[in-house]
Amino acid sequence: MVGTGKGGFRVDSHDRRTWKVSEPFFKGWKVTAGVRLADGRYMAAVASDIYGPALHVSEDGENWEQLPSGPAYPDGGDRRLREIWTLRENRGVIYAGVQDAGLFTSSDGGGSWQGVTALNDHATRPAWMPGAGGLCCHALLFDDTNPDRMWCGISAVGVFRTEDGGATWVPKNAGVPAALEDEHHKGIGTCVHGLAQDPDDPDRIFRQDHLGMFRSGDGAENWERNEDGLEAAFGFPIVIDRASRYLFAVPLEADQYRVPVGGALQVYRSTDAGDSWRSASAGLPAIDSWGTVLRGAMAVDNLDPGGVYFGTTSGTLHASADLGESWTNLPVILPRVLHVSAWVD
Amino acid sequence: MPSVTVTLPSLLDPATGGVREMAASGRTLREVFADLLEREPRLRPHLFNEAGELRRHVLCFHNGTNTRWMDGWDGRVADGDTVLFMQAVSGG
Repeated sequence: MVGTGKGGFRVDSHDRRTWKVSEPFFKGWKVTAGVRLADGRYMAAVASDIYGPALHVSEDGENWEQLPSGPAYPDGGDRRLREIWTLRENRGVIYAGVQDAGLFTSSDGGGSWQGVTALNDHATRPAWMPGAGGLCCHALLFDDTNPDRMWCGISAVGVFRTEDGGATWVPKNAGVPAALEDEHHKGIGTCVHGLAQDPDDPDRIFRQDHLGMFRSGDGAENWERNEDGLEAAFGFPIVIDRASRYLFAVPLEADQYRVPVGGALQVYRSTDAGDSWRSASAGLPAIDSWGTVLRGAMAVDNLDPGGVYFGTTSGTLHASADLGESWTNLPVILPRVLHVSAWVD
Repeated sequence: MPSVTVTLPSLLDPATGGVREMAASGRTLREVFADLLEREPRLRPHLFNEAGELRRHVLCFHNGTNTRWMDGWDGRVADGDTVLFMQAVSGG
């Protein structure tokens, strides 16, 4: 599924070489996130600058129905739920990371939603400052070995970790410089752009940050730079392939420009857990390309060999069926791409 | 109880299943809005914010008069009145 600023599109393939792009659904709406639920349903988040956000579910990915209720801040308060930035499901609970930054959960398949109060009303909250993309909770990671442990990333605040099922949250950003340093709360003010996690080692986390590329081997307790070979350390998405553990990112010229370096759209790949990065861009457009790739607009399919997919703010779509060895440029120009999800049937 | 006709914009088709005209009842606009949301709760986040106000770029007209120009929503409505929701066309 490709979510754009003006609707969602199904992009189907039987061989990962040739692709069919659907007519838009939710035409005129931003499609900001999507998830395939364990019960087989699809869930999509939409938003409109005029009409606000909503969640829709579908049995077949074609016919959608808006949920009667979605995540919402309490009536009468000053927080506004503007967009849903990420949707994840873990152990039967659906998680929605939202803007204004917060986290909501549903334990009944999306029928009702509860705010994660300990995070949403965190002691540091008064010091949370929005980044250029807004104040949003956009990345969620889980620990398959420990149901009480998870991480979330908030721009421009940083990474938080809970080890008690969400009852308490602690900023975990040691080693990452602050982008917006607060006078009192020194653990926040970092600007995480994207997170990826080793499928078999939940403590091994990779972080595309506003101020560089980082990794942690101890569950975000400490972060270290891993930028060797990157032509630029700024960027938004980072994804990891399940079988190979290859990492993929899209470096951009930092940070007031936020465009591909030299106008050349390039994907960078690390085959050694971030020790080094090399361009893996064969087949990407050999023309000046100034569109960027947003944090939610890159995905892997976890087949073997792994497929990698991304869309750009220029509306172009690109697919690789061989871990970035070669790329196919889909013959379509969509609206600004906000979100890409890859699902295998 | 007076019944009014509520007209909705096409962009809200995903919330209403394509229904663009609905009946709603109430003695005041406030009651009409409450009845509308009772009939179709999916409209709530699209028309009103968390403070219960109309969303910033949503316009609502009662019998052709912008409700923002009214002194609140407690004026009387009559059977057969119209309520029209539309988006503000602001900017390019």
